Amino acid sequence: MNSYYAINLLIYAGVDIIACLALNLQFGVAGIVNFSFIVFQAVGAYTAAVLSMPPDTAPDYSFQIYVGGLQLPFPIPWIGGAIAGGLLAVPVGFVVLRKLRSDYQAIALLVLSVIANTVITNARPFLNGAAGLALVPAPLADLFDPATYGYFYVGLTAICTALVALVAFRIVNSPYGRTLRAMREHEVAATAIGKNPVALKMTIFIVGGVIAGLSGGILTGYITFWAPSVWLYPETIILFAAVIVGGRGNNLGAVLGALLVPVGFEEVTRFIPSSIGPPGLIPALQWVAIGLLIIGFLWFRPEGVRPEPRRVFEGAPD
Amino acid sequence: MSLFVAAFGFGLVSMSVIAIAAVGFTMQFGITNMINLAYGEVMISSAYVAYYLNKAGISIWIGMVVGALFGAAFSFLLNRIVYAPFQRKGTSYLGMVIVSLAISLMMANLLLPIVGYYSVSYQEGTGGLIRLGAIILTTNQILIIGIAVVVMLLIHGLLKYTRLGKAMRATSANPTLARNCGIPTQRVVDAVWLITGALCGLAGVVAALNSDSFAIANGAAFLITILAAAVLGGAGQPYGAMIGAVLIGLITELSAAAWSPEYKEVVAFGVLVLVMVLRPQGLLAKRGAMAAAG
Amino acid sequence: MLVATDIHRHFEGMHAVDGVSIEVAPGKITGLIGPNGAGKSTFMAVIAGTLPTSSGTIVFDGKDITRLPAYRRARLGLVRTFQLPSEFARLTVLENLLVAAQHNRGDSLFGALMGKRYWIEDERKLVQQARALLKRFGMSAKESDYAGTMSGGQKRLIEIMRALMLQPRLLLLDEPMSGVHPKIVQEIQYYLQDLRHEGLTILMVEHELHMVERLCDTVVVMAQGKVIGSGTMSSLRKQQEIVDAYLVG
Repeated sequence: MNSYYAINLLIYAGVDIIACLALNLQFGVAGIVNFSFIVFQAVGAYTAAVLSMPPDTAPDYSFQIYVGGLQLPFPIPWIGGAIAGGLLAVPVGFVVLRKLRSDYQAIALLVLSVIANTVITNARPFLNGAAGLALVPAPLADLFDPATYGYFYVGLTAICTALVALVAFRIVNSPYGRTLRAMREHEVAATAIGKNPVALKMTIFIVGGVIAGLSGGILTGYITFWAPSVWLYPETIILFAAVIVGGRGNNLGAVLGALLVPVGFEEVTRFIPSSIGPPGLIPALQWVAIGLLIIGFLWFRPEGVRPEPRRVFEGAPD
Repeated sequence: MSLFVAAFGFGLVSMSVIAIAAVGFTMQFGITNMINLAYGEVMISSAYVAYYLNKAGISIWIGMVVGALFGAAFSFLLNRIVYAPFQRKGTSYLGMVIVSLAISLMMANLLLPIVGYYSVSYQEGTGGLIRLGAIILTTNQILIIGIAVVVMLLIHGLLKYTRLGKAMRATSANPTLARNCGIPTQRVVDAVWLITGALCGLAGVVAALNSDSFAIANGAAFLITILAAAVLGGAGQPYGAMIGAVLIGLITELSAAAWSPEYKEVVAFGVLVLVMVLRPQGLLAKRGAMAAAG
Repeated sequence: MLVATDIHRHFEGMHAVDGVSIEVAPGKITGLIGPNGAGKSTFMAVIAGTLPTSSGTIVFDGKDITRLPAYRRARLGLVRTFQLPSEFARLTVLENLLVAAQHNRGDSLFGALMGKRYWIEDERKLVQQARALLKRFGMSAKESDYAGTMSGGQKRLIEIMRALMLQPRLLLLDEPMSGVHPKIVQEIQYYLQDLRHEGLTILMVEHELHMVERLCDTVVVMAQGKVIGSGTMSSLRKQQEIVDAYLVG
């Protein structure tokens, strides 16, 4: 295995773990089926990109058109991406999370995901449309030898992953996390014991948005590119598959799911020669397999590989 | 001005297509409690069934019937094999939405290697133009409007005057009570999947016939327009879906004339968001049908 | 304690609650009885804020709460239970109690992010409080089991304990004995009497008239969305029209 491949794998793993931890907070813990999760990642990616890129009048960049182009130094673009993800969660949550029954929430979010992609694809002057943004500057690239930069980026990703994991574990293991789980189990009863479900959902939706935005910033800084084709709505379904397989409500499960589904699965299938069958057959079958994985797990093992832990308190009778 | 009159003409056709699809979709939901996100993919599959028949030299009007039959059979089996077992297992509404989304993803990608990425279109004469003032429609489009009117009348008759229709409405209102009253809900549910599946298949062929060409990717776009119409009218309400279809058909075509056809679904989405904020129960639905529980 | 005046609740053109006025005296158990469809449960839901009021006013402890959302009413000490089991199934029995506590520094996003040291003191106190309740209700042994695996009667007890964790001033019980094994019915009855002696005010919907007779200080009779009488059970038995409307038929 060469080091380029290993670096690539580690960075993708970090980004997917971050995303799955965030989705687990929303979906696994709080019960919000955020089918537009990938939109929040995309907002973070676009924001980080236009904050770090030079204006679109700059010589090498004039083949694309976009807003912003502020050329801000690292880590401002990543922070900006995270904030943008959180900010987007406010209006979306306001429309979706207040009055609608949970299954309608899911559908509204799914539709939002499809529409957001359509709009960005067609509105070219905003973020360069379907072609997307290229030549996104890699953070602090000029401080490193290109040969060692990959290791640096792995380190950066690892720090962010650790930070997000800390946040996720603190939330899940806190009384606040318990309140979120109670709301997931029975919203009306949670209201009857003084919990405000709208406020609870909004906070965790924003937290998830911030983390998703950060994951987008990390990803775009590495692949130095971002376009509508990388955030189509099925990308969210992969993350759902990961959380369902790993174990809803369990942080370690989310990490495991991220390693098994988006990372492991994609890596394994890369080795299938693409010359088999008509063009597009292998990727299409990958999607079919993702669908089967979701349905199979929901049928045979809905709690996932690592189920949500039952909490036993100190001093409990045996 | 005449641009908008022409757009009104297209609106009539659009609303016909949407009405057929949305009534099927909303009945599935209202009676079986299933938000079937694979609906758009079943539509597209049916459109392709008709396409292959058409390619083999069979008239598209026969293909339409076969497409409807395919939609009915496929939807029936989809429910029997996947949805109903999950529902019996006590899967939550939310779980069912995830299941149907997974099905939708699988269908689109199973279809892809078979039919390919490229857009196709039916080999069928448009049948010449018919002018009504500034409104110019093809004979096919007039026929589509006619089909929609007939289908809506049939649905009305079914719901209003047949035992099956009454049983459907009773099951929709309260499945437990309906079962206790001796209505065999299993048979009703089967009938619903057959009927709504036929509407879905028919809508797929009609929608494909109405557009210059179609491709796999159209499934999602279909679904959004249908959702907008169904939600606007009040989820689960067949008559609401008809009204929703009329409004969405008009609004999208007029906006396409005024602005850009690329944003048709975006406009439909805008309507969807407005309804969700202002009147989540839809235009016709009783309060509580769609609002948060409790 | 609670004064509800001229409460109406219209629903799809039906008058589920049609001008009900009641007053709940502090430290007493008030029973709400009536035939099926009389609007008792709807009325309870309106009082608790689960359903909005169409018209009328609700005053709790001298404060107009008519427009307050349900969760705010609960925080004021007006806590309800439900007719159907409504435990948090995949929380343990102990967690079902803990989650209801009002004052826990860790029960906010900020508190959670501050880490365990920030809230562990509060949590410890609440665990003690919850265990005391579990002991009193004879469920100590079940604390680490998922609430969803409990029997119907145990779920009732969990719900009552959960409500008590909020230190309510008025407890609204919607048919606390329905679907409960007769042996536990006795237990619940005993617990309720006990709570009353401690000064807790209770308003309860109940079908079983013997139970109402034994437990309730005052009884309000509802039929077709209206109050048709109130008083002690024995005084009600003397009123012919009430007997005709409900007590016999």
